[in-house]
Amino acid sequence: MPVKFADVSYVYNKKSPMAFEALKHINIEIKEGSFTAIVGRTGCGKSTLVSHINALLNPSEGEVIIDEFVNSADKKKRTKKLKDLRKKVGLVFQFPEYQLFEETVEKDVAFGPKNFGMKEEDALKAAHEALLEVGLNEGFFKRSPFELSGGEKRRVSIAGILACKPNYLVVDEPTAGLDPLGSKDMMDLFEKVHQAGTTIILVTHDMNLVLNYCDSVIVMDNGEVAKITDPISLFGEDIEKYSLETPLLYKLVKDLNAKGKDIDVAKVKDISTLLDQLRISKEAK
Amino acid sequence: MKNFALGRYIPYNSFIHKLDPRVKILGIVLLMVCVFLNFTHPVVNDAGETVKATYWTMTAIMQGSVFVLSILLLWISHMSFRSVLASLRSLWFTLIFLLVIYILVPTQTVMQLGLAWRVEAWNWSVYWDSFADAGKIMLRLMNMLMLTMVLTGTTKPLDLTYALEWYMAPLKVLHFPAAEVAMTISIALRFIPTLLEDSMRIMKAQSSRGVDFAHGNILKRITGVTSLIIPLFVSSFLRSEELANAMECRGYDPRAKRTRYRLLKFGWRDIFGFIIPAALLGLYIWWSVDSSVFTQFVLSGVVLP
Ligand SMILES: Nc1ncnc2c1ncn2[C@@H]1O[C@H](COP(=O)(O)OP(=O)(O)O)[C@@H](O)[C@H]1O
Ligand SMILES: [Mg+2]
Repeated sequence: MPVKFADVSYVYNKKSPMAFEALKHINIEIKEGSFTAIVGRTGCGKSTLVSHINALLNPSEGEVIIDEFVNSADKKKRTKKLKDLRKKVGLVFQFPEYQLFEETVEKDVAFGPKNFGMKEEDALKAAHEALLEVGLNEGFFKRSPFELSGGEKRRVSIAGILACKPNYLVVDEPTAGLDPLGSKDMMDLFEKVHQAGTTIILVTHDMNLVLNYCDSVIVMDNGEVAKITDPISLFGEDIEKYSLETPLLYKLVKDLNAKGKDIDVAKVKDISTLLDQLRISKEAK
Repeated sequence: MKNFALGRYIPYNSFIHKLDPRVKILGIVLLMVCVFLNFTHPVVNDAGETVKATYWTMTAIMQGSVFVLSILLLWISHMSFRSVLASLRSLWFTLIFLLVIYILVPTQTVMQLGLAWRVEAWNWSVYWDSFADAGKIMLRLMNMLMLTMVLTGTTKPLDLTYALEWYMAPLKVLHFPAAEVAMTISIALRFIPTLLEDSMRIMKAQSSRGVDFAHGNILKRITGVTSLIIPLFVSSFLRSEELANAMECRGYDPRAKRTRYRLLKFGWRDIFGFIIPAALLGLYIWWSVDSSVFTQFVLSGVVLP
């Protein structure tokens, strides 16, 4: 079942002079099993949008339907069992490293599973698995989360969500402030989680990531949905007006084609698919 | 969480918003003194002696007037009366607590309002005066609350500190670090919204890890609060260190003489902002010292045709 936004609006500081409409009549559907990107300039409402999937914010108008859960402007229609919803939808915030608080890394990661009703040992086991998954080995388990580097802290906090085994994983700008290698590792991790059957919703600025990993894109502009499309068709258009940058790889293929190559741009997602396409076009000649 | 909006600056452009903060502080302080005045009159007690006791009619009218005035001020400054009511709702408990205290330990020396009920078995009487006492304190609390709201709701925190600094200026002669104190206060005020934002953000993050801040048993809630407080401390320490470094990098010297971008200026409005509260306080003090004037002019006008 998909995540569905039906005519959702959200107003911050409602009924005060600081009232601000951050979302305006959003209608979108995010398919189960997809790797969906939400893009758009800073302040266009991406974080506000994804907070609705987890019922951290309730719509001012309209409703969000996540499987059997309803997050509606109408109090009576809202699902009461938020815990079940939050177990199902894991939300990793921007700069999640600020949420760490336990004495040891493993305890912090086990915090979520324990809250969702797992027993102590099971939670620790889930924590260890999640930590290994994000690339932190046994040496880290007993260390204090506060003495880790920024990138390691972020891995720990992402492990904290992965350990809850969500069906939907929402990540808000997970690569912000990471070095290129770190951000590639991070994205490969999400790709792996996606392969294992989790629906991924990625909020990002980086169009290279969108091209490499995502299968559909939602473009937001000023609190509204400007476009629902897939990466290749998106980059075929003028995207500067949403302050998005065309991915380097896409530009490269376009330039190669302009110089006489004949590469199917729709099939190029990363370096290896580019090589495949180059080989195919060579064989065709 | 939403109650945090209580003491917050709300940007409107009303008469009170436009008053000079120095005048506003003074005016509100004058009105607050009015709230704390007692009104007494001579009463003959059981032993036949004449003693001073609370003049209930007068107290009710005088404090009631401040109450009405506060509502008027809130209305002029476009503040929602609903948020005041919301904050009063949480005062219910205080009212009951006060009532219990005053019933158990009556403060009045002469009971003027009569017996409410009597428990013969324990030889214990409850007088209406206890209720009146609790009511008086409640009214005072509400008046204080509303007056504070008028001040903080219509004055930018920075303007408040400038005004405080202005009032502390004479103390500089005694080597009192007025500028530093004002700086400290303004930094603290500046970081209140940031801290609130931080705590909101951390609460959201922990909620998505299954923390329920509103429900659950005590133990669960304590863990929940810990998961909020520790990250909040960590980020506050980081912030203060960054701020200190940034200030040092820019050569901030607390002792340096400094000029100001925003200058405070008295305007024609400020005359009203001072005169009205001052006149009111004068009247209140006069009548609290000599209640016979009140009896003569106000009550005779009300009670006697
Ligand atoms: N707590 C808040 N109170 C008021 N306005 C907010 C709050 N959070 C975000 N906003 C505003 O809502 C808009 C959308 O914010 P956000 O969803 O964080 O954008 P994005 O994640 O796309 O950068 C921004 O203009 C921001 O200023
Ligand atoms: Mg954001």
